[in-house]
Amino acid sequence: MVAEGALAAGCRFFAGYPITPASEIYEVMMRELPAHGGLALSAPDEISSLCYCVGASLRGLKAMTATSGPGWALMIETLQYALMTETPAVIALVQRLGPSTGGATQGAQGDIWLAEFATSGGYTVPVFSPSSAAECYELTLHAFNWSERLRTPVVLLSDKEVGMTTEVVDDAALAAPAVVERSRFDGGRPFVPYGFARPEEVPAFAPVGDGVKVTVTGSAHDQQGRLRKNAPEVIEVLRHLEQKVEAHAQEMALVRTDLDPGAPFLLVSYGITARAARQALPALRRGGIRISFLQPQTLFPVPRRELDWALAGVRTVFVAEENLSGQYRAVLAPFLGSRRVVGINKLGGLIAPSEIAETVRAAEA
Amino acid sequence: MAEHPYLSPEAKLPYCRGCGHALVVRQLSRALERLQLPPRSVVLTTDIGCVGLADSLFPYLHTVHTTHGRSTAFATGMALAEVLQEPDRLKPVVMIGDGGAMIGLLHLAHAAQLNVDITVLVHNNFLFGMTGGQHSALTPLDLVTATTPTGNWTPPLDLLALLRAAHAVFLARQYATDADLDTVIANAIAYPGFALVEILELCTAYSTRWNELTGKTLKEIVTRQGYKVGRLEAELERPTFREVYRHELQSRPSRSPAPETPLPNIQATLAAELRLIVAGSAGERVQSAAALFCQAALAAGLYTTQKNDNPVTQGTGFSLAEICVSPKPIEYTGMESPDVILVTSADGLKEIQANGVWARCRQETLLVMDAELDAPPTPSRLLRLPLRRAATPQRAALAGLAACCATTSVFPSEAWDAVIAKLPGERRLDAGEALRISRQLAAPSGEARP
Repeated sequence: MVAEGALAAGCRFFAGYPITPASEIYEVMMRELPAHGGLALSAPDEISSLCYCVGASLRGLKAMTATSGPGWALMIETLQYALMTETPAVIALVQRLGPSTGGATQGAQGDIWLAEFATSGGYTVPVFSPSSAAECYELTLHAFNWSERLRTPVVLLSDKEVGMTTEVVDDAALAAPAVVERSRFDGGRPFVPYGFARPEEVPAFAPVGDGVKVTVTGSAHDQQGRLRKNAPEVIEVLRHLEQKVEAHAQEMALVRTDLDPGAPFLLVSYGITARAARQALPALRRGGIRISFLQPQTLFPVPRRELDWALAGVRTVFVAEENLSGQYRAVLAPFLGSRRVVGINKLGGLIAPSEIAETVRAAEA
Repeated sequence: MAEHPYLSPEAKLPYCRGCGHALVVRQLSRALERLQLPPRSVVLTTDIGCVGLADSLFPYLHTVHTTHGRSTAFATGMALAEVLQEPDRLKPVVMIGDGGAMIGLLHLAHAAQLNVDITVLVHNNFLFGMTGGQHSALTPLDLVTATTPTGNWTPPLDLLALLRAAHAVFLARQYATDADLDTVIANAIAYPGFALVEILELCTAYSTRWNELTGKTLKEIVTRQGYKVGRLEAELERPTFREVYRHELQSRPSRSPAPETPLPNIQATLAAELRLIVAGSAGERVQSAAALFCQAALAAGLYTTQKNDNPVTQGTGFSLAEICVSPKPIEYTGMESPDVILVTSADGLKEIQANGVWARCRQETLLVMDAELDAPPTPSRLLRLPLRRAATPQRAALAGLAACCATTSVFPSEAWDAVIAKLPGERRLDAGEALRISRQLAAPSGEARP
């Protein structure tokens, strides 16, 4: 469904490398892209994969690759290059148990920090997290749209369980957004490769190879793309990299909620674990517990307003995720005030609805 | 059009006095002039190092300054995208050093294999200049550098020999001082596939200070290392990537969605969610049988999920399929308390004992086991069927699933018929046979207790 979403979004370039549990995306794109007028090929490693994608994107194509933790580790240099050069690209990161080779056929939600905090300088990388096949399609479309609109790499953070569970999808019910294209330079004035009037603006894009001269560099640069040391304009360009994303954080915020206003408990979960969370709710409520539920589909930028809204009147926040380090719990911590925060964590297996329910009931006691 | 579309003769070059890079950029400019390439049809793709200072010298070309060693890979990406253009014009020219060629060796090899339309100019001055003169994979033996103070004792790579093995068509090795370097570069750019020119240079900041290195001794080094100079004999008659890919595109059938035959209106009988595990052996079509079950459930209007498990080595050992089926959308897909467990082989039995599923069997669980298996004590309802013997090991899973459907009401057998009818030839016959046998097995009695 990730591949289907990419094709629907207008992706016309894919370079891939096989890795469990992401290989199916690669195989589908290899099979389907030529028929859609695009190009898909195998790369000799993950570094090449993302470099090829960025090159194709510089030429104007929507590009994607797909990998898992060990491959992502190799892509981090090029992720930063895409970010610095404001080049759109979508990377599907299908999580598996780590670290290192870990468990190729075992699920996990352990790459949240790795996906978001892998840039020197700590710039916000938009990350979307699907919990079902339908969301894989929808969120891949959103990922492409935001990548193109903001001229930034975007991560579609799936996991082995979501990626390798076959399930029924109702095509008619898919909530697919309209496809967005990157804003192109339309002439009529001198072209400024990284030009903006206000820092939250996204520079108009001109493809390498077309009529207007393009300057691209991974070095810290001014609006013209020139490497300069100690120039205030360079610092402004760096600030703009963050501000263009931050300014759209609210618009990018996608969540699913099941709120009980006034409930003292809030359960937060994402990805595969959100399914267990949703399953646990009815039994908890039938037992008399009042609890709200929030599933962030946009992990980063953190959906602040939706979170604040869900937190109203809440005294205890549960964050359920299949990692031991409480990665998203740590991300949310600064926004939770002095509320009690309880992590529901596990490694090496799905968190069951009963495990979530037990923890909530124990907290009530 | 600017008077100097490429390198202006008045341009102030940023290199040290005597640096070979100055010669290369001038010869590149002359090469572009020879070819009369429109500046906007060239993208100078520069690597890290002193080579990467060339961008600002060519104000009318596209310039892309990349990460170390990756210039070739980004150029390849651009060249690949260009394959979809009609006509194609974009010529990436990669400016890379010996250091970059080392770290990006894989990118060079792959670009050569693909035969994409990029031109790579390797500025080989035997060391990393910008960072202070450290040695690289192309440093000749005995050369003194910042990191080989007593002389290099690691024999260098012969880059051209390596790329020849990668099926590169256009390979040349020249000196930066060659008078006809511009012609060689022009020919390289003109070739519509991968072309690489290794240009031997002197780094006047480091190598000539720490070694007796002149134009003459440079030639002696070349002889001593056994390097061939000039255009290398190429693999002939090899198509370019563009030629191959466009031919490939044409020979593929254009996509037309398969005509969907609407499924007959089948009503499922399942009242509540059912969780089912099929445990068998790899190579016995366990997972495809499970998939067929799910499609039959879908035909009857049910929601299903399927997850598979097998050892990392795909062809041997156990094969598991975990199925949830429900009249309502399914959230959690775990198998804490499966309602039905179908075991078709000893591998499958062993795995569900090892992974804890067996221990979670309850009284209400229906255990359908192949009659040949030794069933350990269990509180569950046990149904033994001669699946392997009657249906064959390859059809045991499908026959077993059909039997499960009959015993535990999920959907009517018309749903099976509907999905089996849509299978291609042999598979349809095979599945039909499995179904027929399962009906035979189900007919006489119900359960059998040990």
